[in-house]
Amino acid sequence: MNIRISALCATLTLALSSAASLAATLSVWAVDEPDNYTEKMAREFAKLHPDIQLQVRKVGFSSLNDEAMRAVMSGNGPDVIPIDNPNTAMFAAKNALLDLTPYLAKSKVIDVKQIYPGPLKNASWNGKVYAIPRGANTLALYYNEDMFKAAGLDPDKPPQSWDELYADAKKLTNAQKNVYGLAFSAVGDEEGVFQFLPFIQATGADWDKLNDPGAARAAAFWQKLLDEKLASPDTLSHRQSEAAATFINSNAAMDINGPWELMAVEKGAKFKWRVALLPPEKAGGTRASALGEQSHAVLRSAKNPQAAFAFLEYMYSQRNRNWNEFGMLPPSKDTVTKDPKWPQAYKTFNEQMQYARPRGPNPQWPKVSKAISTAVQSVLTHQADPKKAMDQAYKTVEATKH
Amino acid sequence: MNKLLSRFPRENGFEITLAGFALLYLLLFAGLPLLYNIVLSFQQVDLMEPATLLRPFAGLANYRDVFSRPEAGQVLSNTLQFVGLSLLFQVVIGFLLAMLFLQDFPLATFMRGLFLAGWIMPGLVVGVIWKLLFAGDYGVLNHVLTQMGILHSKIFWLSDPQWSLYAVIIANVWLGVPFNMLLLSVGLAAIPADLYEAAELDGANAWQRFWGITLPMMKSTLGAVVSLGAIMTMQQFDLLAALTQGGPANSSQVAQYWSWQLSLQTFEVSAGSAVATLMMVLVLIVAVIYVRSTRNERMV
Repeated sequence: MNIRISALCATLTLALSSAASLAATLSVWAVDEPDNYTEKMAREFAKLHPDIQLQVRKVGFSSLNDEAMRAVMSGNGPDVIPIDNPNTAMFAAKNALLDLTPYLAKSKVIDVKQIYPGPLKNASWNGKVYAIPRGANTLALYYNEDMFKAAGLDPDKPPQSWDELYADAKKLTNAQKNVYGLAFSAVGDEEGVFQFLPFIQATGADWDKLNDPGAARAAAFWQKLLDEKLASPDTLSHRQSEAAATFINSNAAMDINGPWELMAVEKGAKFKWRVALLPPEKAGGTRASALGEQSHAVLRSAKNPQAAFAFLEYMYSQRNRNWNEFGMLPPSKDTVTKDPKWPQAYKTFNEQMQYARPRGPNPQWPKVSKAISTAVQSVLTHQADPKKAMDQAYKTVEATKH
Repeated sequence: MNKLLSRFPRENGFEITLAGFALLYLLLFAGLPLLYNIVLSFQQVDLMEPATLLRPFAGLANYRDVFSRPEAGQVLSNTLQFVGLSLLFQVVIGFLLAMLFLQDFPLATFMRGLFLAGWIMPGLVVGVIWKLLFAGDYGVLNHVLTQMGILHSKIFWLSDPQWSLYAVIIANVWLGVPFNMLLLSVGLAAIPADLYEAAELDGANAWQRFWGITLPMMKSTLGAVVSLGAIMTMQQFDLLAALTQGGPANSSQVAQYWSWQLSLQTFEVSAGSAVATLMMVLVLIVAVIYVRSTRNERMV
């Protein structure tokens, strides 16, 4: 038989057999976010597989954990759920997720070896893979070029250390014009922790080494920025999107934020802007940044894991669209982004990604996160001194390990 | 059994059936969850384990755990302030408005209707609106207060631990006033007008009429309004979620929100249930007061 025909036959049989096995309902949760990623992907997937009956439910990002937890408890959950990446360990440790390792061994679409180590670590527990990262994101420093020039700063030389960040923020702050030097988020939940961790990691401390003096130095540095009003006192209640909004409205000259805000910045900013790496504590010192983004997992109670995994494969196969359509960095080495939008930001965020550190894994991450955010907020509001607050948080985190 | 049934007159069968449905409903949808919550608070709970009644017994450990947490004292004091101050201002402002709208002036009933608009809105929406009003840098409230010369520097209502609890209380008072006004208006309207006429003939001035007639006649209504208000305030959740989430650093944390955070954010269900049970005891006390004050109402 002609090779071509046999190949065609093979594809046909494959398509037919997979189509036959996929005939099912697929129930998917999607996070209620502007990019609408999961829902768009699910609709595209359903179009390719007309025999699949798709059900999509939107869930708020902040209630994702407890909604998913309750679904697991009732045994009546969806097939595919999004998980904020530090929480994969929690769900996996509770035996709620399908172990994807055997599926991945057979998969022709997903090559685990190509996935970057950070996102992969956040999708795994005890050496098994339980989720597929939809992409990756990290934090960098957006800055307003026009304001840099007006303040006598060189836009080609963004801050290279905390001292420079502080000095630049001071020069850029203009209380009369309602301009703060820097915007970031210290809000009392995971978002604030996400923003804080890069600072302690730059000192050599980490979420499980909060008793390291570096953690207290990082908290004291944030405290100084707020005390001197170089960042708005409302940093304590601003989410990252609200911090971005103050930057876009020229009420803050710099903003620590992720690539998901690029579209909003491009649309709203009436000034020249650029993105720089987060500064290390001392010039030339250790760089660090956060590693964020959601992953998708299949619940163990899924009625048709085959179809659910096929959907995960489909999302992964679309990763080349991550940056231009969804403001996400690629999850894997073999992702090809053609003509990336915002080339300067693309280059910086990709470079920043090399320093991104996963959160956890710790199966009680929400508890860890709460301990850190309480410590940070009590330092910023002068209710506890940095060393004492971080030691208290360290004890709480240690207790989660036993 | 027959003996028990025969104690009810036969012609009341219809009423008994109705009451039976109500009782069954209460048992299923209020009684069982309440009991379940109490049981949880004495157990070691792991949320992902299958739902079962048989879990390791923890005795009072969960209660000890809750009270030994560093934020416990602050949560207790915040909860008392939140309930006490909310109630005080809701009732006083509601009472004043109710008396105002009882006067005969153009558009009085129309304006009273407008006041109810605030009450119809969901707490979450009210929270979002108040978040804009309270914003430190560009908030409406700071702008108005500085323009009026009352403030010289901005107050960061939601981020300053000195203010955050009071910001939430202010929004909650605003949300609760229409309900108080409505109930109190009804009570005021029920006071016979001839009482006032007689008092006026006897030479009582407005002040004396208020203390001598209005207040005593409103006693049972006020009792009901205060208890209902206390229960509603202890249930207030949406506003907190939208405004401060108990922060910064627990400065506006109150028991009901803490209980939710423990149960569904950090998944410490045992501790969360213990807090919820303590809240329930409080609500129960208030409910007893409410029942007693409405019982008085019937006798009047």
